[in-house]
Amino acid sequence: MQKTVTRFIVGLAVAGFSATGNTADLPLVDAHIHYSHDAWEGLPPAKAVALLRKAGLKRAFVSSSSDKGTQLLYKVAPDIIVPVLRPYRKRGELGSWMHDDSVIKMLETRLAANKYAGIGEFHAYGDDVNTNVLRRVISLAKQYGIFLHSHSDAAVIDGIFKQNPDARVIWAHSGFTDPAEIRSMLKKYKNLWSDLAFRDEHATDGKVDKAWRKLFQEFPKRFMIGTDTFAPERWFYVIEHATWSREWLKDLPTSLAENIAWRNAMTLADWALKSKAVNN
Amino acid sequence: MRLAVNGLLTSLLCVSAAIPTFAADNVTFSDDERTSIISHGPWPPKVSLDPSNRVSGNKSAIAFGRELFRSRFLSASRQHSCITCHKPNAAYADGLALSSGVTKVDRNTISLANLRLNRWYGWDGGSDNLWAQSIRPILDARELNATPALIAKRLRNDPPFSRGYQSSFKTSPNAHDDEQVLVNVGKALAAYQETVVTPRTIFDDFRDALARKETKQAKPYPETAKRGLKIFIGKGKCGLCHQGPNFTNGEFDNAGVRYFKPSGGIDKGRFGGIQKLKKSPYTLLGRFNDDPKNSLGVATRHVARSHQSWGQFRVPSLRNVLRTAPYMHDGSLAILKDVVQHYSTLNEERLHLDGGGLLRRLDLTDIEIDELVAFLETL
Repeated sequence: MQKTVTRFIVGLAVAGFSATGNTADLPLVDAHIHYSHDAWEGLPPAKAVALLRKAGLKRAFVSSSSDKGTQLLYKVAPDIIVPVLRPYRKRGELGSWMHDDSVIKMLETRLAANKYAGIGEFHAYGDDVNTNVLRRVISLAKQYGIFLHSHSDAAVIDGIFKQNPDARVIWAHSGFTDPAEIRSMLKKYKNLWSDLAFRDEHATDGKVDKAWRKLFQEFPKRFMIGTDTFAPERWFYVIEHATWSREWLKDLPTSLAENIAWRNAMTLADWALKSKAVNN
Repeated sequence: MRLAVNGLLTSLLCVSAAIPTFAADNVTFSDDERTSIISHGPWPPKVSLDPSNRVSGNKSAIAFGRELFRSRFLSASRQHSCITCHKPNAAYADGLALSSGVTKVDRNTISLANLRLNRWYGWDGGSDNLWAQSIRPILDARELNATPALIAKRLRNDPPFSRGYQSSFKTSPNAHDDEQVLVNVGKALAAYQETVVTPRTIFDDFRDALARKETKQAKPYPETAKRGLKIFIGKGKCGLCHQGPNFTNGEFDNAGVRYFKPSGGIDKGRFGGIQKLKKSPYTLLGRFNDDPKNSLGVATRHVARSHQSWGQFRVPSLRNVLRTAPYMHDGSLAILKDVVQHYSTLNEERLHLDGGGLLRRLDLTDIEIDELVAFLETL
């Protein structure tokens, strides 16, 4: 396992994500993939990884309910899977996990045993950020030097940075909010990234919306793409999503397109994974 | 789109203040509820002819279309017809979970009725008009498995059908190319299907009495159905999607039903429907549209795939719903009670509610489920 991870880390450093200037075969890093129990029951790990490769993904940030799904994928394809630890043991905990103290032990145990780039994607709103469980999640991310992937409103993002000003956070779905609020949050927190999963307002028919273009140009190192395979059937959307992403990315200057396509996500993964020891 | 949906939600939430009430026996309805109920009528609604189909409403074409609909003439093997799946004595459906023509199809047969009220056709909205939707199964290898050349050749060589064509289109099929003949066959089929309208029901009588504030006339409507109606327009928020006299918004949604194909792979639903629509030569934007103003083509021009449209399927009309079992795009729910229970215990994590989805788990009691079913049975 140690060898595998070492190979993976070296692979990240020399992955050869060259700026080809041709977005038709633009490498992509998908920052928002789940492989939960109902997905792995119908789509075995080897087939799931084959879909990711067919989409032309160089990396995929994967978190699952339960974490077993992520581990299954990582075992098959350590070169492509960036493991992220989800605080859910099964579907149905999305609205209750932050009130369940047993989640803490589960996270501590798994973080000690496995390698992760982050904790998330978790769902939290408003005062949820002050629950014991979420406070511990924030401190665990700090302890392990990994990012948080937060599906939340702006209040939770504020709360995370209040508890740890040095936290690194991916704001899932860019908070499902408008460019003005995203801009305000990105200005406020230099360690906040924004994923575009399940958002399509920023591009229509391959053309980037004016307000979003301005936002991308203003924060060229802060956005990343993501599919969000929240149901098993959506695994089959990964390829369509990659095609769609390449279409609208073509409408941006090459360097900016590459940042959003893969470089920003890779930089974050590199930071989280580099020189981390593996405990199993 | 999200703004429109949010606007709809806001307006629905704002109408919740109950002030005066209208009593219909033991169950009472507030003015707001009454307004909501009245919005589901009158029935039948006034409909116009289809401007994209020059034989819409044409008696000769309706008769010709009716013969085509019932004949095996449109099937390559002459083994099947439209009524193989759309049986007039079964609400123009077939009672099967999945349709079957030449081979089994991965979707449930949609009941054919009240079709002039549609904007899109098929479970995935792959057609924007009824004549194109009528052509689709003729060419589908799993259904009638024909070709434009085969249909045109047969029609030209069959005197009764040739006369039907001539009478409908005032031109011999010999004067049209194969594709034009096929399109005109679709238009005749459409003209016939437009005449299939579900009859008035006891709900319509109740609704009209309510509109006229006639308590006595409203009384025969069953109490259980009234309680179910109250859930439909209230706690269930069913009317968010099942709107208006035809009990549908005519659009698409993800109802939390699995969409793996029984034969393997994935059913893309609306996403695939829009892909088909954009490639089809038989849309309102194409040369076969008979409407010189193309008054209906705006939606087709602007409709676009979105992340949400992956796995979305038609919001079906609830008219005649008791007779159109089994339910959902894959026929996976056998009876109406199964459908209500599905929404009552909906797995919300399959829907991505923050992405603009409207559905919520209803958490109905067993009694409420029975009441809602009782209401649906009156449609």
